[in-house]
Amino acid sequence: MPLLESTARVHATTVVDRRELAAGIIVLGFDAPELVAATRPGQYLMAIPPGGEVCATALGIYEAQGTRASILFFVTGKRTRALAELRPGDALTVMGPLGVGFDLSGGVRDVAIVAGGVGIASVLLPAQALLRAGARVQLYYGARNAALLVDAERFVTEGCELLAATDDGSRGHHGYVHEALARAPHAPDLILACGPTPMLRAVAKVAAERRVPAQLSLEETFACGVGGCWGCVVPIAATSAQAPSFPPAALGGSDVVNARVCTEGPVFWAHDLRW
Amino acid sequence: MVTRVTPDLSVQLGRLHLAYPTLMGSGCYGSGIEYAPFVDLARIGAVVLKSVTRQPRLGNPTPRLVHTPAGMLNAIGLQNPGIAWYLEHDVAKYADRPCAMVGSVAGFSIDDYAYVCERLAARAEIDAIELNISCPNVASEGETFACDPALTAKVVRAARATTDKTLIVKLSPNVTDIAAVAREAEAAGADALAVINTVRGMAIDVEAWRPRLGNVTGGLSGAAIRPIAVLAVYEVARAVRIPIVGQGGIETVTDALEFFLAGASAISIGTANFTDPRTPERIVAGLSEYLQRRNLTRIGAIVGRANRGFANRQEYEGDQG
Repeated sequence: MPLLESTARVHATTVVDRRELAAGIIVLGFDAPELVAATRPGQYLMAIPPGGEVCATALGIYEAQGTRASILFFVTGKRTRALAELRPGDALTVMGPLGVGFDLSGGVRDVAIVAGGVGIASVLLPAQALLRAGARVQLYYGARNAALLVDAERFVTEGCELLAATDDGSRGHHGYVHEALARAPHAPDLILACGPTPMLRAVAKVAAERRVPAQLSLEETFACGVGGCWGCVVPIAATSAQAPSFPPAALGGSDVVNARVCTEGPVFWAHDLRW
Repeated sequence: MVTRVTPDLSVQLGRLHLAYPTLMGSGCYGSGIEYAPFVDLARIGAVVLKSVTRQPRLGNPTPRLVHTPAGMLNAIGLQNPGIAWYLEHDVAKYADRPCAMVGSVAGFSIDDYAYVCERLAARAEIDAIELNISCPNVASEGETFACDPALTAKVVRAARATTDKTLIVKLSPNVTDIAAVAREAEAAGADALAVINTVRGMAIDVEAWRPRLGNVTGGLSGAAIRPIAVLAVYEVARAVRIPIVGQGGIETVTDALEFFLAGASAISIGTANFTDPRTPERIVAGLSEYLQRRNLTRIGAIVGRANRGFANRQEYEGDQG
C-alpha cells in the first residue's frame, strides 16, 4: 500500500504550444495524458522552474483534454519569466494534479463563476464540467482593461454567459467584478471564484449577503506545494470538513485552525474561512 | 586500472545506520509521506520529521513565506499537534517506513525537551532524534538554547538521559562561535550535529511599510546561505569528533561535495526539495559517479579532505610588504 494515496506525480513533458494572449499573459500547452486523466476542476500543478530559481511555481491547470494540458499565467517575476521563455519542443517538468478542487456535486443548475485577472486559469475546467452537466454558467470576468480579459470569447464559445468588468470601463461594467455580481437580478445557486485576495474577500461578502454558497480558490505564497512545509496556511473554522485533523487543544481556545492552502485547499467554502 | 564497484554511500550516525548519506531537513518534508508520490523514499537516507513540541501549537500568523534572491524566508512557528496527539495518531504510520525516520523535538524549557524526547524516542517507529534547539521563529527561548553553550550542554544532557537512540543536535548559525556550542553539545552526549539551521532575516514591503512576514523575522534558507553553512561545517569539524550532518542551500552534487569535503559525514536537503523533489536522487547518483570517477569506494573517503584549518601567519607572509 502506498504511504499516501494520491494521483499526483512528477511529469516530464514537452511544450507543444505557446500563445501570448496579451502582453505578459502566456498559455503553455504540453502533452501529459496521465496528468489530464487525473485532473479535477480547480486543481493546480507545480511547474519546476527551468531557470534554476528557488521553489517551483504553483499554477492552475487551465485546459485538460485528451493528451493536452495547459497553464495560463501572468509574467510577474523570475520564475514566470523563465516559463514564458519556453518554446514548443522545450522540456517542462510539472508535479500534479495537486490540491482539492471545486465541489461540483449536488446538482447545481445556476452557477456564477467569478474570475479576476489570470484567476481565469482555474475556472475553465469547472465551467466545462458544469456546462456538460447541463448547468447555466454565468462568467463574471474582471480585469484592468478589455485587452486583459484574455480568452473571454473562448468561454462564450464553450457556452458561458459573459459579464465583463474592467477597471477603466473599456469593456462591460466600469468597476470591480464583484459589483456586477452584487447587482445580478437573480441569485445563483452557487458561486465559484478565483482571483486576487481582495476580490475573493469582496465576493465572499456578496455571497453572504445574497445567501449563496461560494467556493473560493485561494492564492498564497507556496514553498513545497505538496503539504510538507505548512507555509501557505489560511485560518478556517475548526468545524470545516477541510480542517486538518488537529486535536481540539491545538486550537488555543479558539474555533479556528490553520489549513494548508496547497493541500486542504486551494478551494475553500467562503463560510469556512476565518481570514 | 579503474575499478567499477558501486561506491558505499552508507553512513553511521551514532547507532543509526543510513543506506544513503542524504537526510531530508526537518520542516521541509512534513510528516515524511507528503513527498511519497514524487520520490522513492527507499532511495534516501532519512526523513527528519517536522518538529513536535510538548503542547500543540497553531503556529505563526501569515504570511509565513517570502521568496528572496536565491532563497526564501520562512516563519512557520512550529505548528504541530503536540506530542500526545502525535504519538497517538501520527507515529504508527511509520511502521513500514522505507527509510529511517528521525523525530524532531522542539521546546521552550529543558524539561520540555526531555519530556518530548523520552516519549518520542521510546517508539520503535522512530529511529533517531534530532533536537531542534535552533528554531529562529518562535518567541525568544526557542533559539536561545543553541545560542548559549552552557544551555546547549544542559538541554543535550537532559535529552541524552532519556534515550540510547542516536541524538542529533541541530545548531544555529546565528552565533558568534558555533564551534564552542558544538563542543558543548558533543561533551553533553550528542551523537551527531546538524549544521546549520536557517539564518535570521527579514524582508519589508515598501508599499505597505511593514515587514513581509507575519512573524516579522524569519529563517533564510536556500543557496543564499550555502557559503555560511559550508564555513560552519568546516569550523565545527575542527572542533568535534562526532559526525556532522551538513545543510544549508544544497541543490546539486557539487554543493553536497563541498559539505563532505568541509567535514560533513552526511548532508541534509531542505529548500531544494521545494524546487525539485528529484534533487536527493540526483545528488545520490552524482555522488556515486564522483566517487567512481576518482576511484574511491566509499563516501567516508572524502569527509573533511578539504579541511586544512585556517590560514596561519606564515601563509600570509608572502603578501606582506
